[in-house]
Amino acid sequence: MRRPEVKRLVTVLMVMAMVTLMTGESGDASTPPTTGPHGAFFEKVSYFGLFRARRWMVFLTLGLLAYGLMFLYQRYSPPVRKRIRTVTATPKRLVQMRSSRFAVYAVVIVIALSIPHLVTQSYWMYLIVEQVGVWILLAEGLNVVVGFAGLLDLGYVAFYAIGAYITAWMTGVLPAPPLFHHAIPTLWVIPIGVLAAMVVGIMLGIPTLRLRGDYLAIVTLGFALIIDDYVGNQNGITGGGEGSLTVPHFSVNLGVWHYHWGLNPVPYYYLCLIFVVLFVVVFSLLEHSRVGRSWVALREDEVAAESIGINPLKYKVMAFAVGAASGGFAGVLSAGLVGNINPTMFQYQASINILILVIFGGMGSIWGVALGAVFVQVITSYMDNYQPWGFQINDLYMYIGALLIIMMIFRPAGLMPSRRRRREIKDFEETGEGHLDEVLTGDEI
Amino acid sequence: MTDAATTTETVFDVRDITLRFGGVVSLRNVSMHMNRGEILAVIGPNGAGKTSLFNSLTGVYEPQEGQIDFTNRNGRTIAVIGKKTHRIARAGVSRTFQASRVFSALTVFENVKIGAEDHGGIGVVGAILRGPATRRGEHASDQLTLELLDFVGLRKDANLIASALSYGGRRRLEIARAIATDPDVILLDEPAAGTNPSEKLELAALIRRVRNERNVSVLLIEHDMKLVMSLAERIYVLNFGGVLAEGTPAEIRSNQAVVEAYLGTSTNEGAA
Repeated sequence: MRRPEVKRLVTVLMVMAMVTLMTGESGDASTPPTTGPHGAFFEKVSYFGLFRARRWMVFLTLGLLAYGLMFLYQRYSPPVRKRIRTVTATPKRLVQMRSSRFAVYAVVIVIALSIPHLVTQSYWMYLIVEQVGVWILLAEGLNVVVGFAGLLDLGYVAFYAIGAYITAWMTGVLPAPPLFHHAIPTLWVIPIGVLAAMVVGIMLGIPTLRLRGDYLAIVTLGFALIIDDYVGNQNGITGGGEGSLTVPHFSVNLGVWHYHWGLNPVPYYYLCLIFVVLFVVVFSLLEHSRVGRSWVALREDEVAAESIGINPLKYKVMAFAVGAASGGFAGVLSAGLVGNINPTMFQYQASINILILVIFGGMGSIWGVALGAVFVQVITSYMDNYQPWGFQINDLYMYIGALLIIMMIFRPAGLMPSRRRRREIKDFEETGEGHLDEVLTGDEI
Repeated sequence: MTDAATTTETVFDVRDITLRFGGVVSLRNVSMHMNRGEILAVIGPNGAGKTSLFNSLTGVYEPQEGQIDFTNRNGRTIAVIGKKTHRIARAGVSRTFQASRVFSALTVFENVKIGAEDHGGIGVVGAILRGPATRRGEHASDQLTLELLDFVGLRKDANLIASALSYGGRRRLEIARAIATDPDVILLDEPAAGTNPSEKLELAALIRRVRNERNVSVLLIEHDMKLVMSLAERIYVLNFGGVLAEGTPAEIRSNQAVVEAYLGTSTNEGAA
C-alpha cells in the first residue's frame, strides 16, 4: 500500500475511535453508566467508553468497511470514469444518453409514487414528509445559493422560518391579525409564502452580496439570528416562544368539492412530491441556462466574469431569490403538516443541518443533494426511533461529523458530485493551483 | 503592415489620469490616445503602471484625477471612470488577463458561449420557460461560439474542459471569449507570456486577424520586443507611472530615453 493509503486508513480509524470514546450511554452525575467495571478510576474511564468492547468492535468494523469499500471503489472506478469522460457528444450517443436519462427519471418517479403504498404505517409516512420531503426542498434551495452560485449562506433557515410564519400569520393563528383582517386557507398561502421568501431574499441580497466569502457568511448568519430573535421575542406579533399550536391543515374548498387533509400524511406527501419535482426541474433548467453558466463563471473567477459583462450583484441576488423560493415553500408545507410552529424549529443549527445535506450530497449537484438529503435524513430518523447500538439523539452530531470527515477524505466533492464541481477539484489536484477551500467555495481567501 | 483598418476616429481618449494607492502613485498624469482599428502597444519595465492603466481603462481601478472617454462604433461616448466593470465590458471594452483566467470547470465551448450571451435581461423566467426568444438567443450564441472557436482554431477541443488545454490554447480561448462579447476594442495583457516561439508567431497572426477580420481595435501589453515591434503600429512607453515616449516602432527603437530606460543597448542587453 502506498503512503497516502496508510494515512487515510489511520485517519478513518482515529475518527472511529473518537466516535467510540465520545458517544453512547453517559448516565448522569449521580448514576454513572452501567457498563464497564466499577471503582472510582474505572468509573471515570468507562465514562468515556474505554471498556465497551462491543462498541469498539462495531465502530472499528464500520470504519474498516467504509475504508475497504472506498479503496476498492477508487481502485476500480478510474477506468470506468475515464470512459465516461471521453464520451464525446456525437449525435447518436447524445440520443442514447438522453433516453437513458429519461429512463432513470421514470424509475425515480415510480419509486416516489409507490412509497405511500409500501410504507403503510402513518407514523413513518409522516416522518418521510416532515424529515425527508421538507429537507430535500430546503437542501435543493440552499444548493442553488451555495452549490451553483458559490455563496456561503449560513442563515438559510431564515427563509424556512419566513414561509412558516407567513402561513401562521395569513391563516390568522398568530396574535398579529392577518392581512386585511381576513384569514385565508393554508393552501392559498403557498404562492404568498414563496413570494415573501423571494422578496426577503432580494432585500437581504442587495446590500449584503457586495461582500465576499467569510463576510457574507457572517452577515447571513446574523440575519438568521435576527429572525430567530424576532420570532422568539415579539410575543404580541409572533406568539413568542410558544409560537402557534393551531396552524390549520391544508384543505380544498371549491364549493361542490371539499377535502380536508387533516392528519393523514399521504396527501402532504403528494403535494411535497409535486413541488420537489417542480423545483428540481426549474433548478436544473436554470443550471444549464445562461444564468447557471453565469453563476459558475462568478463562482470561479469574479474578475474574469465581470470583464465579459456579467453583473455580479444581479446574478448573486438572483441566486438568493431563487434559492429562497423552495425554502419558503418548505416553511408553508411544514407549518400546514405539523400544525404548530415555534422558534426552536428555526434556530441556527437548522441552517447548519441543511448545509450538511448539501455538502454530503455534493454541492451543485441536484441529484446528489436529493440523494444526500434522503440518506442522512432517513438514517437519522431510523436511529432516533430504533436506537441501535445504544444510539442516543444527543450524539447525533458526533456521528454526522464523523460521516462528513470520512466523506471529505474519500469524496471531497460529495456523494454524487456535479460534473462542474468535480472538474474544479480535479483541476486543483492536478495543477495544485489555488487553495482547496477556494476551489470548494469559489471564494478568494 | 496593413493599416487599411486604421482611421482617425478615437476609441480611447485618456487625459491626465493619476492613480494613487495611499501614498504610492501608480500612474502620474498619463495621457493616451487610441484610434479605431489600430494595434497599439504599451511597453515598459515591471512596475511602470501598464496593468494599472489596463485596470483603469476597464473600470477595475478608479483614477483619482483625469478623464477617460471611450467611444463605441455607434459614436456614443461614455466616461469610463466611475462605471462598473461589467457595464464598460458591455459598452464594448473587452480584455484578457496577465495570468490566464479561463473558467476551468466549464468546457471550452461554454467558456466562449458565456461571453457570446447577452447578459442584459433578467433571464430567470426566460431560462425556465424556454420561449422562442430564448431559443433564438441560444441558437445565435451557439453559432457565434462555433464561429469563434474556428477563428482561434479550438473547434476540435470544444468539448474539452478548459483546464485541459495547453497554456497557448488557454490564451487563445481567452481571446475567443473576449471577442465573443462583440467588443470595439480588446485589451490583451501580456498575451505571449509563457508561450514558445512557434506559438508566439501564431499568436501574432491571430492578433492581426482579430483586428482585420473582426474589426476590433487591439491594445496590448507585451514584454517580447520582437513581437511588439512586428505587430504594433504605434507604441506608448511607460516608466515610473508616466509616459516616457510615444511613436511608431522605428521611432521608439531610436529614442535615446527609451533605450536607456528599457530596451537597453546592444552591448548591454537587458539592463533596465
